[in-house]
Amino acid sequence: MAPYLGAWALVGGLLAALLVGRAASTWMGAAAVSLPLAGTYAFVCLSAWHVARSLPLRTATRPRIVATALTASFVSSAGWLALARMWVQALRTRGWLAGGLPDRGGLDAVVFSLGVLLYLLSLAVSYLLITFEESRDADQRVLRGQVLAREAELRSLRAQIDPHFLFNSLHSISALTTADPAGARRMCLLLAEFLRASLALEGQGRIPLARELTLAEHFLAVERVRFGDRLRCEIQLESGGECLVPPLLLQPIVENAITHGITHVLEGGAVRIRASRTGRRLSIAVENPCDPDRPRGTGTGVGLANVRARLHALHGREASLHATEHGGVWRVAISLPVATEEG
Amino acid sequence: MTQDPLRTVIVDDEPLSRAVVREYLARHAGVEVVAECGNGFDAVKAVAELAPDLMFLDVQMPKLNGFEVLELLGRDVLVVFITAYDQYALRAFEVHAVDYLLKPFSAERFDEALDRARERLRARAGSDGDAPLDVAGLVATARPKTGPLERVLIRDGPQVHVVPAERIDYVEAQDDYVCFKADGRQYLKDQTMTAVEASMDPARFVRIHRSYLLNIDRIARVELYAKDSRVAILRDGTKLPVSRAGYARLSKLL
Repeated sequence: MAPYLGAWALVGGLLAALLVGRAASTWMGAAAVSLPLAGTYAFVCLSAWHVARSLPLRTATRPRIVATALTASFVSSAGWLALARMWVQALRTRGWLAGGLPDRGGLDAVVFSLGVLLYLLSLAVSYLLITFEESRDADQRVLRGQVLAREAELRSLRAQIDPHFLFNSLHSISALTTADPAGARRMCLLLAEFLRASLALEGQGRIPLARELTLAEHFLAVERVRFGDRLRCEIQLESGGECLVPPLLLQPIVENAITHGITHVLEGGAVRIRASRTGRRLSIAVENPCDPDRPRGTGTGVGLANVRARLHALHGREASLHATEHGGVWRVAISLPVATEEG
Repeated sequence: MTQDPLRTVIVDDEPLSRAVVREYLARHAGVEVVAECGNGFDAVKAVAELAPDLMFLDVQMPKLNGFEVLELLGRDVLVVFITAYDQYALRAFEVHAVDYLLKPFSAERFDEALDRARERLRARAGSDGDAPLDVAGLVATARPKTGPLERVLIRDGPQVHVVPAERIDYVEAQDDYVCFKADGRQYLKDQTMTAVEASMDPARFVRIHRSYLLNIDRIARVELYAKDSRVAILRDGTKLPVSRAGYARLSKLL
């Protein structure tokens, strides 16, 4: 507040100087007129802030802003001039500082033009402040978004590979070592391949969908050793292999397909992953057989919630995840906007 | 001195996992694998028909999990749980499992479990008059963490029925048994009415009488039958007695 009023005291001084020069007045007379007028106009010009607010630079059309700015400045300046005349008249009739007061013609021109200029200046300053504030808000929003995305990332990295998968795989290897040493070695290689591929993702922002699907394939290959004939896998990449997705996005879904799906079905079945790109959208669906009578509450839903949170942090409402169960088939469908290397 | 062989059943839905147990058992004399089962239904059937001494039991299996298998079998057989998950260990000991092996396990660790089972068998043979343990009850007390039952498991000789809770019309006490009526069929189970009541969802099943636990969705109306005595008429026309305390409980729910 103090800097604002200080600036207007300077304006009062400037007005006084102009009056002395242009309206043939003494310094005393000019100051008696200009200082109170500057004080009043300081308040009038506060309205510029609201004018700027109601006509944001981003949305309002340029002619409209110019017209409004001119009208507002002319109106307030005219009001100011009327006030100035009344004030000078009052000083004159009371006989205060007689003779030292500015003449009328000089006063009108100086006060009106200065009023318009000052009002426009106030508008400009208001727009500047608003822009500054908005950019700071935008920065904060971006920052908050990044923090959220990072958190989701960390949570999912921790949850992405179920340790029981490793224990079960090691147990399979332990079984194979005596019965089928070559098979044990194959299993070790499959497991190593999957682990290496998933570790290589560390620090990668996004990876091509084709790579994500290869990873899922590695994972299912390992699980196939454990489940034998009970598990089949069908991966179909129709189009959109080049589209970028968060790494291991599908991993929790594919894991669920095993632990909450295949595991509960006597005869097992196929985990089907289908992906395709249609224009600017990428669709990925994971299907697996499930037992409608399986005990509920075994799935904590953490995996799906994680995937959802990651999609949301990256794409907001533009991405969606739907999980449905119909006729013994569990299906998770993801739809997200296409993102590629070029941006 | 010759001993009867230790008769065992291996239950695991993964062939490789069964192979490990089979291999470790092959190193011991006096052990016979009488059956290998890939799911809980087969396990119940095998144990009922073959009456083995010891069962190696996986926890996570299709249709029936290890605990459900045990609940259906009672205490006729000793159990060693085998799983990759450590979170069931507490529950396993609550149902008096002999041991709890975490995949993958070594031959030494496996032998330890086998020794424990033999010890338990000897102790059991030594005290023949041992009162049977209510395993079903223990399983039920170990359950509260998972909430009310969503399905009731009933063993009928070697056969197992899985009855979803919402399909049960009512439960009737019959001497030492309870009888579940569902889908026009009756299923007898060796359990007390109190245990059944405690395991079912209290918002759906109400004890309307000392001998009846009723699914409130099935009620058509309640009529006054005599002074202080009411009768519940179900949608299919069945009439069940309602005691005074039962009526109070029923009115509170409706």
